[in-house]
Amino acid sequence: MEATVIEKPRTGMDYHSLNAMLNLYDTEGHIQFDKDREAAREYFLQHVNQNTVFFHSLKERLDYLVEKEYYEPQVLEQYDFSFIQELTERAYSKKFRFPTFLGAFKYYTSYTLKTFDGQRYLERYEDRVVMVALALAAGDEALATSLVDEIVAGRFQPATPTFLNAGKAQRGEFVSCFLLRIEDNMESIGRSINSALQLSKRGGGVALSLSNIREAGAPIKQIQNQSSGIIPVMKLLEDSFTYANQLGARQGAGAVYLSAHHPDIMKFMDTKRENADEKIRIKTLSLGIVVPDITFELARNNEEMYLFSPYDVERVYGVPFGDISITEKYQEMVDDARIRKTKISARTFFQTVAELQFESGYPYIVFEDTVNKANPVAGRINMSNLCSEILQVNTPSVFNEDLTYAETGKDISCNLGSMNIATAMDGGDLGKTVEIAVRGLTAVSTQSSIDSVPSIKYGNDRAHAIGLGQMNLHGYLGRERIHYGSEEGVDFTNIYFYTVLFHAIAASNTIAKEQGTAFEGFENSKYASGEFFDKYTDQEWLPATDRVAALFAEAGIAIPTQDDWRELKAKVQEYGIFNQNLQAVPPTGSISYINNSTSSIHPIASKIEIRKEGKLGRVYYPAPFMDNDNLEYFQDAYEIGPEKIIDTYAAATQHVDQGLSLTLFFPDTATTRDINRAQIYAWRKGIKTIYYIRIRQLALEGTEVDGCVSCML
Amino acid sequence: MTEKLTLVSHVDAINWNRIQDDKDVEVWNRLTANFWLPEKVPLSGDIQSWATLTPEEQTLTMRVFTGLTLLDTIQGTVGAVSLIPDALTPHEEAVYTNIAFMESVHAKSYSSIFSTLCSTPEIDAAFRWSTENQNLQRKAQIVLDYYHGDDPLKRKVASTLLESFLFYSGFYLPMYWSSRAKLTNTADLIRLIIRDEAVHGYYIGYKYQKGLETESAARQEELKEYTFNLLYDLYENEVQYTQDLYDGLGMTEDVKKFLHYNANKALMNLGYEALFPANVTDVSPAILSALSPNADENHDFFSGSGSSYVIGKHEETTDDDWDF
Repeated sequence: MEATVIEKPRTGMDYHSLNAMLNLYDTEGHIQFDKDREAAREYFLQHVNQNTVFFHSLKERLDYLVEKEYYEPQVLEQYDFSFIQELTERAYSKKFRFPTFLGAFKYYTSYTLKTFDGQRYLERYEDRVVMVALALAAGDEALATSLVDEIVAGRFQPATPTFLNAGKAQRGEFVSCFLLRIEDNMESIGRSINSALQLSKRGGGVALSLSNIREAGAPIKQIQNQSSGIIPVMKLLEDSFTYANQLGARQGAGAVYLSAHHPDIMKFMDTKRENADEKIRIKTLSLGIVVPDITFELARNNEEMYLFSPYDVERVYGVPFGDISITEKYQEMVDDARIRKTKISARTFFQTVAELQFESGYPYIVFEDTVNKANPVAGRINMSNLCSEILQVNTPSVFNEDLTYAETGKDISCNLGSMNIATAMDGGDLGKTVEIAVRGLTAVSTQSSIDSVPSIKYGNDRAHAIGLGQMNLHGYLGRERIHYGSEEGVDFTNIYFYTVLFHAIAASNTIAKEQGTAFEGFENSKYASGEFFDKYTDQEWLPATDRVAALFAEAGIAIPTQDDWRELKAKVQEYGIFNQNLQAVPPTGSISYINNSTSSIHPIASKIEIRKEGKLGRVYYPAPFMDNDNLEYFQDAYEIGPEKIIDTYAAATQHVDQGLSLTLFFPDTATTRDINRAQIYAWRKGIKTIYYIRIRQLALEGTEVDGCVSCML
Repeated sequence: MTEKLTLVSHVDAINWNRIQDDKDVEVWNRLTANFWLPEKVPLSGDIQSWATLTPEEQTLTMRVFTGLTLLDTIQGTVGAVSLIPDALTPHEEAVYTNIAFMESVHAKSYSSIFSTLCSTPEIDAAFRWSTENQNLQRKAQIVLDYYHGDDPLKRKVASTLLESFLFYSGFYLPMYWSSRAKLTNTADLIRLIIRDEAVHGYYIGYKYQKGLETESAARQEELKEYTFNLLYDLYENEVQYTQDLYDGLGMTEDVKKFLHYNANKALMNLGYEALFPANVTDVSPAILSALSPNADENHDFFSGSGSSYVIGKHEETTDDDWDF
């Protein structure tokens, strides 16, 4: 069958080609990992070194960068020059090297400081790390030193907007994730579109909740059949994001969420149909649905599900549709003649969701009641964000006719950053790593002020919410020769997240004590009542397998005991915690490449991952720690299947106050029923959200590209 | 056209519950699951990237796409249709109708790319070029002649060579751009076309091999000779065509390797041994890897829709599934 064999590289091969050879087997059928390392090396020799501006000394470099308005002088002025010098030497002494081509390429194309004409590099990786640490530590030398240690060692990695922007004079915001409510009036819709533009311009991804908007055909000023529903709003938003995309540094991106019981729910999903009319087709906006428990129960009984007019519901209950628990009020609303309603078969609804996920990967799903039951903070969660890991409470804003705020509500922004599980375990001081990460993220929150959207600023100033994430789970498990989703794999995930939670609360508690203040509304939270701690003080959490106990023991990482929790509970009840939200596990695209991690706590999508991004084109990335000897521990997500992924996520979810981006992977032989079963299983296991559904179609036998790694099972 | 139209003389109602050749069903299912329309790809995301190409590069790209449009048009209106009368099974006929339709979708896709990225005078100029370029016209004429000839197996050979070989001098360029991070959405669309053409070439080649089995040894020999002769003819012309297009940008050498690689692939589909040795088929790995249409791309909301989603199979859930 083999018609051709890929030859050894010609000498002087460029780094693009060397990198692409990762995706092609050598003549013995081995993956060519060395070619990628060669590609990384060639990238420096052929490109980076030649294009980096040289300075004789650090002093000369900093003076130049400040004078030419590349660096923010305020950041540097907080420190003695001698300290900055020492810190830079400290960073360089760690001998950091990018292990993969994609890591290096991604860093230099997307993160590092460049001359204004974009032609030459002004920073190496260590310089960027130092600037990020100096900016976040805001004059605190000890914190700056710890941040450098944690980031250069790869244990903590700030999210893209922070890592990209910190310390630069011409910069975007440190946060890039925003969630906005829309209320059922023209002022709120208009203001949301403005906010979408403003936030996109600043490089943010924005999610908006459409659940409160009245359905197509609802009355306006009591005149029947006037409203055109949510689809035109989606169109406006899509165009707004596309417009901002053309001017901003990073593409604009948006998501919209809708309650499953909104009357326009089917039209909402049909916008992603393969054959949808151009007028209603939504191409680039991401969709998410909010599904309460009652919908599952109706489907179980094979009943019809009622959809309720948000216009009427708001009039009857006096609160927006999205702020009502549908599960709780379902029968009441069904029986209330004042609320207009339509019905569809609940099972058909779920089947349609699965169909659309097949065709487009959307919609995301938020399991509304699971989310709200697990929420330790007073208030209601009715939506998520672009990556479905942010789950926070919000409150509505009221607008004047000129679009100024009559009453500023709380909208959501989130500062993310992720720990690398493998290096964090290797570091041996998980408590310290978590504390430095929490401090770094808190600094992002206190230094952020999104003045263009007052409800975001208002929310952030009061909540200081952060989202500490995790990545490289599969890389770590593979290195330790543990199968993803095996008993040991799930056990590790459980104990790891359990331990991280303890340290995250402890760190936030320390900060609250230092600052003398907790987040607004702490007194009404389950942290203050102590209820949150019950499951940790009443029950002992220990590794279930010897292997996992040994991993923690060998790393010298103590697993918190019930007494530790009792002590922490007392401190929290006395001083509070500074951050309203602490953890959220994002999908980690770019930063996992520069950090040499597998994405999030997902299994790898492929042994050699193909990455397509605007600035990069097609680039190939090998799973970290994978070599030709341990391939069996690097099964890909399609081989692993949805159940093991859900089991792993369920183990982590119970220790995470917000959400975790969970993608499910199916072969194209799957049917909509397989997807539905996975959704039911996920919901039963206490999963909070589902992000994308991915379908893999293998090339028909006889049509594949010869000797291609990512084309083979 | 004065010649008489050939149609199938006798038709029975097609019964998909009586299958003579499982390959028909397999390919039908694959092709229908792969159905797509150009509107699904957010081509407008490439407008900025298009502006970064030099005028020469833009002209080249447009010419390449008009060339591809011509081939897809031939394949849609003549090629796939001409195979129907010779089909061995009724299901094979049905598969050809699907192939014919998708070829028309492909042909239209290029127009979507044009209307998104270029102005009307530029588009007209590129189409004018396509009618005036001798090598392109000759390529079209060679294939058309064989489609109008009266040997069914020869038609299949011509068709397979078109699907698996002739397209690729054109496909090279979008793959090249995508490996250089340019026109990545366009590349997604082209990858969808490649995904289809790969199945088409494979299937028609397979049917050729089935037909060949029933022929005499002498006739088999004749057809083999014919295949290689036609390939040489087409190859010579294709080299000229490639030089016309790519010389200006100095890419000809690498495109030729790509031609060799795909010529071997076409021969493989027809059941023959490779013609070009490995040392002239070592296509740039970046291009080769870019061809793989599978879902190993890890894309997110920032990176466009990708080229891997398919239309799903419906299956209702049962009460057991909801047992909680």
